[in-house]
Amino acid sequence: MNKLSVTIDDKTFEVEVSAQQGTAGEFSVYVDGEPLMVYVPDADTPEAVDWMIVDNRPYEMVFATDMRSVQLEGLRHNIQVRDRETRGVRPISGDGRIKAPIPGLIARINVEPEQKVEAGQTVLVLEAMKMENEIRAAKAGVVRQIHVKPGQTVVLHEALVEIE
Amino acid sequence: MFKKILIANRGEIAVRIIRTCREMGIATVALYTVADRDSLHVRLADEAMQLHSAERYGAADEVLAVARQLGVDAIHPGYGFLAEEADFAERCAQAGITFVGPSPAVIRSLRNKVEAMDVVKRAGYRVPLYAELPEGELDEAYLAQRAEEVGYPLVVKSARGGRGRGARVVITPERLAEAVATARREAEMIYGDDHLYLERVIAPSHYVVVQILADAHGNMVHLGEREGSLLRHNQKLIEESPAPSLQDEQRQALWRMALDIAHLFHYQNTGAVEFLVDSAGNFHFTEVKARIQIEHAVSEMVSDVDIVREQIRIAAGEALGRSQADIHLSGWAMQCRVNAEDAWNDYLPSPGLISRFRLPQGPDVRVDTYGYVGCEIPLRFDPLLANLIVKADTRDACVQRMRRALQEFRVVGVQTNLPLHMQILHDEKFAAGDYDTRFMTNFRFETKCRDEEVRQDLAAMVAVAYTLRRRIGKSQTPERIQTGWHRSARRLPV
Repeated sequence: MNKLSVTIDDKTFEVEVSAQQGTAGEFSVYVDGEPLMVYVPDADTPEAVDWMIVDNRPYEMVFATDMRSVQLEGLRHNIQVRDRETRGVRPISGDGRIKAPIPGLIARINVEPEQKVEAGQTVLVLEAMKMENEIRAAKAGVVRQIHVKPGQTVVLHEALVEIE
Repeated sequence: MFKKILIANRGEIAVRIIRTCREMGIATVALYTVADRDSLHVRLADEAMQLHSAERYGAADEVLAVARQLGVDAIHPGYGFLAEEADFAERCAQAGITFVGPSPAVIRSLRNKVEAMDVVKRAGYRVPLYAELPEGELDEAYLAQRAEEVGYPLVVKSARGGRGRGARVVITPERLAEAVATARREAEMIYGDDHLYLERVIAPSHYVVVQILADAHGNMVHLGEREGSLLRHNQKLIEESPAPSLQDEQRQALWRMALDIAHLFHYQNTGAVEFLVDSAGNFHFTEVKARIQIEHAVSEMVSDVDIVREQIRIAAGEALGRSQADIHLSGWAMQCRVNAEDAWNDYLPSPGLISRFRLPQGPDVRVDTYGYVGCEIPLRFDPLLANLIVKADTRDACVQRMRRALQEFRVVGVQTNLPLHMQILHDEKFAAGDYDTRFMTNFRFETKCRDEEVRQDLAAMVAVAYTLRRRIGKSQTPERIQTGWHRSARRLPV
């Protein structure tokens, strides 16, 4: 029996997952004490799972690769899973690094090292799919490092600027 | 009729054109770039040639060289790229290749939006207030004065224009200089021409266009109007036909006006005459789109006319062979533009590899797309991935059909705006047909799930997914063998 605390957006549920039993892909699950049967296709390749049945209710979803969010019925939910046995929490990125949200080309850089920035201030402009995308600071701080130059192509999640 | 047509375009429009060519027994030549080699149009064409120059699909020299080399008799430009390029159309003619579109002279007279408005204004039709800006660096005082003549709020537009790119709305004078600079940069980047003009914003308003077909023998018909008032960042998201904002008498007047204006330009081939409708119901002419449009399928659904087929027939010199009385507009059609972009992340483009792709099916549902499972959505190009079009007898039934089609449509691997479309289709005002160009400004993208049972089920599913992943994560492989091996390397390439 695996005991977890699952937070969906702002609400936390206490969940117990039993070992797979009987038919392949079927798990008996207790959510806040309420028994539910969950069917998972492709239980052997969890990264590829994109639908499940809970009791008699089928759902299609997309889990983010980092398991920090899930999309279901046109909505995206932030999720956090806390393992009550190991007390492990999935990490949350809270550092001041601004990463590339999409691959693209650095069109312009609007800040200099040691410059103070406000939350929401445009730090640089990333060009992708023929659109100029303004990349803004998530919080106020001081620009410590700029890792890129104008004209440079960047890959997804590449660190662009560090703000302290 | 032509034996072989080269399609100087990519994406869903290239696929769309290939389909009609095949039905007409015309061989097709597709073009592609390295980034685009996986797209469906390459697979479906009879021949496919790679483009090497930096201008990609806009490379006139290279496209003409391929056309000559493979002996095509016509070039279909689709929209964007070489469509509405008079010089290119002229060079095609010189090379003895038919350009599927209006003549170079007609393209030229419509290409400059300011000159086209001059012509229409002189003929006595309403146009919005506008002022042309000279090229090059502008004196701020001069700019301010021109803007004052037009009045605020105004929109800075590219004279070359099209697809809403490079346009910037300016509400107060302080923002004018910056908006002009940005619009100039974007216009230069997208159209290779930084010629701008200022146009007075008519708000609230409705965007309506009338679809026109005109042959070389003096016959001209319309296929009704489309409404495209649902825009986000100047890009249309949803189009429909007929326009829910118009009464039948207005509709008749609009069609007549569109045909008259098309005649002013001696228009030929297919095109769309575009108007803004103000709150008093006045039509203001804005431009003629001298090409096929992304949303043409909406008109095809209500008129039962294959617009691409007509384009090709007209280009080949054939007569329309039908009068206005032969065209019966029936039912209601609607299109959602499915873009590879992330509604939760400021609508940033979302390129990547499509790992799952399930198209909606069933009665009166059509999807034009270049995507399929395993196809790479390239970073280089426009985020438009698919056009989803549905038809029904009434608008209500059409909205219901679109909702269910959106629910069936599933794309995994790249983020799409399908959730946004779903929420718009469930908006009360939209469902009632009561919306104008301000709709998206006031629209709030819902992110909270209020259904407690769904949340409980979701908690169960998240727990199972987590348990399974952790089990796989705790690999049977000894630690020492895993050393130096990056975990994420196991994942599908993103």
